[in-house]
Amino acid sequence: MPKSRRRLYWLSLASTLAIGLLVACAQPTAEPAPAAPVEPAQPAEPAPTSEPAQPAEPVVPAEPAKLTVLEWAYYEVPEMWVEFGQEHPEVEVIFNFGASNPDIFAKTLAGSGEDIVHFYTPDLQFYVDQGLIQPIDISKITHWDEIPAGFQETCTIDGVVYCVPWDWGFSSLLYRTDKIPEGVDSWNALFDEKYAGHISMYDDATSVVPVTAHMLGYDERTLTGEQLEEIKQLWIKQRDLNLFYWVDEPTLEAGFTSGDVWLAYAWNGAYYRLLAAGVPVAYADPAEGRESWVGQYAISAKTENYDLALEFLDGKLGEITATHLLVDYAYGHVNPSYYSAVEDPNLIEALALDDPGTLDRTNFTVPISREIRDGWIQLWAEVQAAP
Amino acid sequence: MQRRNLTPLVLMSGPSVWLAIFFVAPLILMAIFSLRPDMRGALFSLDWTPTLKHYETIVEGEVYLPLLLVSVRVAFSVAFFATLLAYPLAYFLVFRTGLRAPLLLTLLILPFWTSYLLRIIAWKIILGTGGVINSLLMFLGLVDAPVPILLYSRLAVVITLVYVWLPFVALPIYAALQRIDRSLLEAATILGAPPWFSFLRVTLPLSMPGVIAGFVMVFIPTVGEFVTPILVGGSRGALYGNIVELFFGDGINWPLGSAMALIMLIGVLVLFAVAVRLVDVRRFIG
Repeated sequence: MPKSRRRLYWLSLASTLAIGLLVACAQPTAEPAPAAPVEPAQPAEPAPTSEPAQPAEPVVPAEPAKLTVLEWAYYEVPEMWVEFGQEHPEVEVIFNFGASNPDIFAKTLAGSGEDIVHFYTPDLQFYVDQGLIQPIDISKITHWDEIPAGFQETCTIDGVVYCVPWDWGFSSLLYRTDKIPEGVDSWNALFDEKYAGHISMYDDATSVVPVTAHMLGYDERTLTGEQLEEIKQLWIKQRDLNLFYWVDEPTLEAGFTSGDVWLAYAWNGAYYRLLAAGVPVAYADPAEGRESWVGQYAISAKTENYDLALEFLDGKLGEITATHLLVDYAYGHVNPSYYSAVEDPNLIEALALDDPGTLDRTNFTVPISREIRDGWIQLWAEVQAAP
Repeated sequence: MQRRNLTPLVLMSGPSVWLAIFFVAPLILMAIFSLRPDMRGALFSLDWTPTLKHYETIVEGEVYLPLLLVSVRVAFSVAFFATLLAYPLAYFLVFRTGLRAPLLLTLLILPFWTSYLLRIIAWKIILGTGGVINSLLMFLGLVDAPVPILLYSRLAVVITLVYVWLPFVALPIYAALQRIDRSLLEAATILGAPPWFSFLRVTLPLSMPGVIAGFVMVFIPTVGEFVTPILVGGSRGALYGNIVELFFGDGINWPLGSAMALIMLIGVLVLFAVAVRLVDVRRFIG
C-alpha cells in the first residue's frame, strides 16, 4: 500500500473506532419517553434509603396500556397472573427474559427499563444500592398481611419494604436411600469421606457460603476473615469427594438417576421430580436447618406505571395464581392460605406443607451487601482455582 | 493526478468497521473497566478514580496466575495432540483418497452440523462410569470397578477438546498439503530419496504453514475455554476461563473479570512473542 493510502486506511479505521467508542460511551441523557418504558433508562443515583421515595403521582397517563416485566422463562404464561389479567384485560403485559440472577441484574443495570423485575434472594440489596428499584406501598397490597413475617423480612431493608416475595423453595440434602440407608441428618454429610466421589454441590457462591456458615454455627453476614478462610479450606478439601458441581437441575437429576450421585445440595423441585420418577430418594431435614430461596418482585425506580405494577403484584398473591404455582409448578407460594389446595402427597412432602415446624427451622436467605458478595465470590473462585 | 484504485479500501472497510466496533472497542472498554474500583454507578460513567487494586487482587490471590499456567499447558496439550492426529488425516485425504476427497472431507465435518452441547453429552455417555469405555473395560475383565477418572477430570477436558478441534486443525493442513506441487515429490523420488525422506524434507516443511495455522487456531481459544470444563471437568477441572466467567457472571464483578481477561490476553501475547523469537516462523510461512 502506498503511504498516503495507508494513512487514509488507518485514518478511516481510527475514525470509525472513535465514533464507535463515542456511541458506546455516550450516556443516554434524555429521559425515557413516558409511553415507551422499554427505552434504556439511565440507572438512577442511589435513592436515600432511609425515607421511602414518593411513588409516582396518581396522575396516571391516560389509559396506560402496557406493563413490562423482566421475568424468568415459563413465568409469563397467563396462569401465572390470572387475577391481574381478569382485572385489567385492557393492559398488555409484556415479558422480557433473563436467564439467571446475575443476568437479570446486569440487564437491569444496563437499563433494560421494565416496570417490574423478578429476582431471587440474596440479590435485593444490590438493586437498592444501585437505586434501581423503589419501595413498595404495602397499603396497596391487599394480601400483604397473609404473608408470614419470615417472607416479609426477606424483602425488608432498614424497615423499608422493597419487594413482594412470591415463589419459594427449600435447599437441602437430597440423597439416594438405597446407597445411604442410614440417612443423613446434618450438612456435615457433604464433607463425609464415606460418600467420596458421589457428592454433588451446587456451583454457586451465594449458596455455598451461607450453608457452610450455618453448619459451623456462624452468621453469614458477619463472617470474619478467619471464618471465611476456614470455609474456603473445607471446600478445597471437599473437591476430592465431590463428583461435579451442578449448574442445572437436569444434570443433577441425571446423576441421581444413574446412581453416580448419592448425595447433593438440591432444591425441592429435584426431589419432587425424582420421587415422581420412582428414584429412591429422600430429602433431609438437617439439624442445622434447611436453607431456603425466595423469589421477589420489585418495581423499577423509573417506572411510569407504579400503581398498575402494584396491582399486578397484588394479583400474584391471589388464590387462582397461587394455586397454579403450587399444584402445577410444584413451587412454594408465600401465601399459606392456599396450601390446602395441594393434594399430591409427594408435593406435600417436598414442600413440608404438613409440617409447619420445618419452616421455623429453615434458614431464610437474607439480603447481603455487594462487599459481602464480592468476598464470597472470591472465596469460591479461590476454591476452584486451588491447585 | 493519477486516479486511485479504491477497491481494496472499500473491501477492507467492512471488516475493519466490524472489528473496530465488536473487537477493538470492547477491548478498550474492558481495559478501562479493569481500572474501575467497583460496579457502583452508571455503566458508562467516568465518575471514579482509576485503581490497580484488581490486578493486585489477582497477584495476591496466589492461585490465579498458576491456574493461568495450567490453562496454557492444557491448551498446548490439546493443540499438540489435535495437530498430531489431524496431520495423518489430512495427509490421507490429500494423497490417498483421490476423487473421493471432497466426500470424505464432508464426512469429517459432518459431526459439526449437530450442536456442540449434544456432542459433549455424547462424550459423557462414552466416558461415564456406566459408559461405553468403562463397560468395555469391565467386560474384558481389565478393571474390576469403573474407572472414574475418565469423566469429570482435566483429562476428560483434554480428550473432549482434542475431539472438538480435530477437524478444524485438519482443514488448514489439508489446504497446505493440497498446494504442494507434486512434481517436487517426483523430483525427490527421482533423485533417490526414500518416501520417508521426501516426506521429511519436502512434504512436511511445505505443509508447515497449515500446521502452524491449525495449532494456533486451537491454542488461542483453548486458553480461555470455560464451557467444556463445566460440562466434563468435575470439581478439579476448572480452568482460568472459568474464573473469568465466574467474576463476569455470578460475581457481577466486571472490573475484576476484565483485569483477569486482560492478564490472560497479555500473557498469551507475550508467550507468542517469545515463541516467534525462538522458532523462526517466517522460515515456514515464507
